[in-house]
Amino acid sequence: MATTTSETFRCMMCGHEYEEPVEKGEDKERSCPKCRSNSIRHLKKKKPAKE
Amino acid sequence: MSGYVGNFTAKIRKKARYVDPTVCNACGECVKVCPVTRPDGFQMGLSSRKAIYIPFPQAVPCSYVLNMDDCLGNNPIACGKCSDVCEKEAINYDDADEIIVREIGAVVVAIGLDVYDPTEMDEYGYTRFDNVITSMEFERLICAGGPTAGHFVRPRDRMRPKRIGFIQCVGSRNPKIGRPYCSNICCMNTIKDCLLLADHYPDVENTVFYQDIRASGKSFEDMYQRSKEAGSRYIRGLPGDVEEDAETGNLTVTVENTTTGKLERHEFDMLVLSVGVQPPKGMGKIAGMLTLSRTSDGFFMESHPKLKPVDAPTRGVYFAGFCESPKDIKDSVCQAGAAASRAGALLNAGQIQIEAITSRIDEQACSACGLCAKVCPYGAIVWSKGEPAVVVEAACAGCGACGATCLFGAITMRHFTDEQLMAQVRAILADKPQDKVFCFACNWCSYAGGDMAGISRIQYPASNRVVRTMCSARVSEEMVIEAFRCGAPVVLVSGCHYADCHYINANRQTVKRMQRLWDQLEKAGIRPERLQLEWISAAEGQKFAKVMRQMEELRKTVTLEEIEYARDALKPKPKKRAKNGRKKSAAVAT
Repeated sequence: MATTTSETFRCMMCGHEYEEPVEKGEDKERSCPKCRSNSIRHLKKKKPAKE
Repeated sequence: MSGYVGNFTAKIRKKARYVDPTVCNACGECVKVCPVTRPDGFQMGLSSRKAIYIPFPQAVPCSYVLNMDDCLGNNPIACGKCSDVCEKEAINYDDADEIIVREIGAVVVAIGLDVYDPTEMDEYGYTRFDNVITSMEFERLICAGGPTAGHFVRPRDRMRPKRIGFIQCVGSRNPKIGRPYCSNICCMNTIKDCLLLADHYPDVENTVFYQDIRASGKSFEDMYQRSKEAGSRYIRGLPGDVEEDAETGNLTVTVENTTTGKLERHEFDMLVLSVGVQPPKGMGKIAGMLTLSRTSDGFFMESHPKLKPVDAPTRGVYFAGFCESPKDIKDSVCQAGAAASRAGALLNAGQIQIEAITSRIDEQACSACGLCAKVCPYGAIVWSKGEPAVVVEAACAGCGACGATCLFGAITMRHFTDEQLMAQVRAILADKPQDKVFCFACNWCSYAGGDMAGISRIQYPASNRVVRTMCSARVSEEMVIEAFRCGAPVVLVSGCHYADCHYINANRQTVKRMQRLWDQLEKAGIRPERLQLEWISAAEGQKFAKVMRQMEELRKTVTLEEIEYARDALKPKPKKRAKNGRKKSAAVAT
């Protein structure tokens, strides 16, 4: 079964940030749910700092 | 499957039959003695077969096949009854799969379809209630060659049903289960079944629950009207629930009739789920072998929907039938004829004309990293570890993704060289760059979208300046950075929508590159918003104009200080040099 994770995206046109489930290996055209722009930046999750 | 147009090599596994078809005369003596019984897949599991069987009545060659997974007679021989009774000695337990290698010039992909399994749509009770069957099972039940020899009975009590309900769009046009597409064939199949029932069993009452009847095709509307005249009832609305009477096995469906707006309940003796179709299993593997792309629905993508509807984006590969999109028999036959003609024309020509815009690799500069081979959507770059990459020009379509990926400047794309594109960037931004919206547009969609805006007289700011590349994947990180270095306040990279990419899926490389560029700009202290990405199709003149207006608004927010800062922050660093390139250069010098 494909692994699904929740990822954060930011629209580079309007600045809208949103989360979306992403299936591993999926091939999907992204657009901003607010302004429909395709300038969608995938914000990588920061790794927690080692203690 | 490997190779390229005119030079494919296919490795075919010919499965062992364990029965010699040249000797077997299909007498059927072996079937009589076979002790194994299994569900018959061809009859949708409604009847059984033996371990030795003819796959389906019209099978060619008409000889028996031994399914070794079911047979008891193999390793060690525990049964061997079929072999004992076979007078022709056609059975060979030692038969083995055979690998055949063929050199071929063109490929027609005609791998068919899978039927949707409605078990997950629990509200219809398939597999829970015996008298709920699929349209495929119904087809076998009414067939003279079917499990009941054409006697129409319902599974639970083998009585002839008098009231039959058909539910349309099961597994089609349903985004909730990930199948938003229309399966194309189900409406006409149900109409045909209704006519058939009305003809054979005039006392049967048919009711069809539908959301739309799609009867577009020659004489299809006429068939629909005839089925209504023959007494079939059509109710607009899909049932939400099915209940079974445990005693009689009858089924009651609850449905909102969207024509009257009322909630209705109907009782039936049998319910037929008109199931949709889906791309067959193993499509991904074939897509990988032949570098084919797929639509969001999972079907293969044609090279061009209007001009090359049977051609795959990979040259020398053609489609026929369902694997390209859902279609009926007539359309499949048409497409198969067209695919055969296209393949024939290619092979008869004896030679092909290659693209003028292909990539060329400088062996001296190549570091043999293999990145270019990884990003090539056509598999047109041959590379093995430690060896310089080589472009197969007959397979190269000229997207330029390899050229933009090469870190060592070893790849030149004819007519769209780095030098030519960089010169365009510098020339455009030589004078008053702060007043310009700089744009890279792909040849096939975005640039054509700009044309569409122009010929449609759609107004947009005159500040935009466009550099055309064959594909957005040709735009390297260095080109975007160079634009900022030259003082561009904003840069737009635009290409085809995912489904329209002229180069299979090269624009996915654009997305990856943009992610890296946004990170790089942010790290350098430059607003990443100054770089934008848009997918604009050739028909989207309105979108092109809208994006240009947005880019102009964005440009106005960029200050002269920001532009100057970017120029400084992105100053070029010393270029990387290929390891083996250095060695070879040194060898040449000595």
